[in-house]
Amino acid sequence: MKLHEFVGKSILRTYGIPVPKSFFVREGETVEKKILPCVLKSQVLVGSRMKNGGVLFANTDKEFDLHLRTLLERKIRGETPYGVLVEEKISVKHEHYISLVLDRDEKDLVLIYSCDGGVNVESSQNFIKAKFDDVLNEIDPNMANIATTLKRIALEKDVTLLEINPLGESESGEFVALDAVFHLDDSALYRQPWAKKFLKKNPHSFHYLKLDGDIGVIGCGAGIVMATMDTVEHFGGKPADFLDLGGGASEATTLAALKTLKNDGIRKIVMNIFGGITKCDETAKAIVNFKRENPDYDLYVRITGTNEEEAKRILKENHISFYDDMYSVIKDAVVGDVR
Amino acid sequence: MITGREKVCVQGMGKYGTFHAIRMKKYGTNIVCGVSKGRHDKYENIPILNSVEEAVSKYNADTSIVFVPAIYAKGAILESIDAGIEKIIVITEHIPQYDMLYLCHVARKKGARIIGPNCPGLILPGVSKIGIMPEGAFVPGNIAVISKSGTLMYEVSNYLSLYSTGIKVAIGLGGDPISGTSIAEAFDWLIDNKVAKVRIIGELGGNEEIEGIKHALNMGYSGEIKVFLAGRMAPKGKRMGHAGAIVRGYIGSVDYKENELRKLGVAVAKTIPELI
Repeated sequence: MKLHEFVGKSILRTYGIPVPKSFFVREGETVEKKILPCVLKSQVLVGSRMKNGGVLFANTDKEFDLHLRTLLERKIRGETPYGVLVEEKISVKHEHYISLVLDRDEKDLVLIYSCDGGVNVESSQNFIKAKFDDVLNEIDPNMANIATTLKRIALEKDVTLLEINPLGESESGEFVALDAVFHLDDSALYRQPWAKKFLKKNPHSFHYLKLDGDIGVIGCGAGIVMATMDTVEHFGGKPADFLDLGGGASEATTLAALKTLKNDGIRKIVMNIFGGITKCDETAKAIVNFKRENPDYDLYVRITGTNEEEAKRILKENHISFYDDMYSVIKDAVVGDVR
Repeated sequence: MITGREKVCVQGMGKYGTFHAIRMKKYGTNIVCGVSKGRHDKYENIPILNSVEEAVSKYNADTSIVFVPAIYAKGAILESIDAGIEKIIVITEHIPQYDMLYLCHVARKKGARIIGPNCPGLILPGVSKIGIMPEGAFVPGNIAVISKSGTLMYEVSNYLSLYSTGIKVAIGLGGDPISGTSIAEAFDWLIDNKVAKVRIIGELGGNEEIEGIKHALNMGYSGEIKVFLAGRMAPKGKRMGHAGAIVRGYIGSVDYKENELRKLGVAVAKTIPELI
């Protein structure tokens, strides 16, 4: 999960990395003591916040009130802000870039540093990127100190990506973190209880993402669901979603998945079930229930694997047709049904 | 990676671990015992012990398959490494990434091999399986399947079993960002065992497929390699189920991987039937 900037910065402060003086405001709260001049920053998790009007500057009382109201009400790229971070305006002589990533290719913690931080970072030719322990001695000792602190944060808080851009350097050579991007390992949240209050609750036990197309996709296993989406596209269709039931989905979970697609306006659904841990008869019962209530929805069912015979018997008894092969079922769903 | 001669202990004899212990044993795997804290009993002729150390001293266990829940998995895997287990297949999903990072370092130092986590395990069709895959999808033959995805490994193997020359070995590596065994390491084993046909099942994110195949070609592998990659249609910046399956830009996308592999002269199948 991603953390809001104000949470990341409060962690940095706790570990002794300087951040600007600030306070945090949520909708409905009153501000008693303003900071002026200041930067007001919408607390959203989408990228390109600056470009989309999520960062405003105030020099006067009036500007402060106006901008605060604007930001509390303004959605940034569709996301309602969690609140607004108000920070003292700080002038720096130079901006750096530093980040730590738990990198899947290196299978290790990787340090990325550039002396060209801020908006220039994307065009920077001065990147250092290598395994943390290999590169620590190659950077400025002050920066190495900060990097070592960031590593401690990463390990103690289960942060898989920690980026500070820009990391400002003042006239007197002091560093201050002007932004903070933190990604936490979802699997480690059980031991990071402080993070739970920022967690958006997943109402389902399955993994669901709504997309733009019109062909619904349900399967068990991330790989097979992605392959099903790709195959929909291969035959000229557009997938309406990614829905991974996971392993061992019950009848109730499967039914909830079908209803979720229905509620999102998807009328044609491919169910690509290769049951390993999942018992196909459970899936079949959910399909029968759903069809009984929603006879005019088109379900294209491929069902093989554990308890396949029982599943097929249940479907046949209820006059629901099915396939053995994922390519035929997807082709019929996309190109047209010839049954 | 799998010989069929392993002496396997099953760590975590809960409902799930027990179910698969029995299923593996029926398939022909030499399941020597189970390990669960505080247990000293038997289930369907499988002795259950309190520690991996006992499993090693009493039954010479050399391989472990781990079903222990994620929050206890680090301790369980360390116990196996300390007891001198050579090969540890981790089925458990949702193990914290920093736990895996630590475990991989320790395993490397002690010369143990971790496969997984979050993987379906290994199967030598007709001989032995150390995993949770549905056996019916794996008819003995001559093709090796290396997969980052569980269910896709079943799907592809089933297809190759029905319409091609069957499966020699299938290796499920798991789709987590930090995993014990890479595609390159799996290739080393295939080269040593002279497997002439390999199918790689990958997905978006990272560049392990490219690095693995580069490694194989550098080692002089001359067999037939075909690749299938899932996640062509995946939107950028969204995690697709697996913790590792996320792409932020072009690098790591299926298009990127396909182009890189084409430069190496390796065929990327758009559909599973093209893997035949």
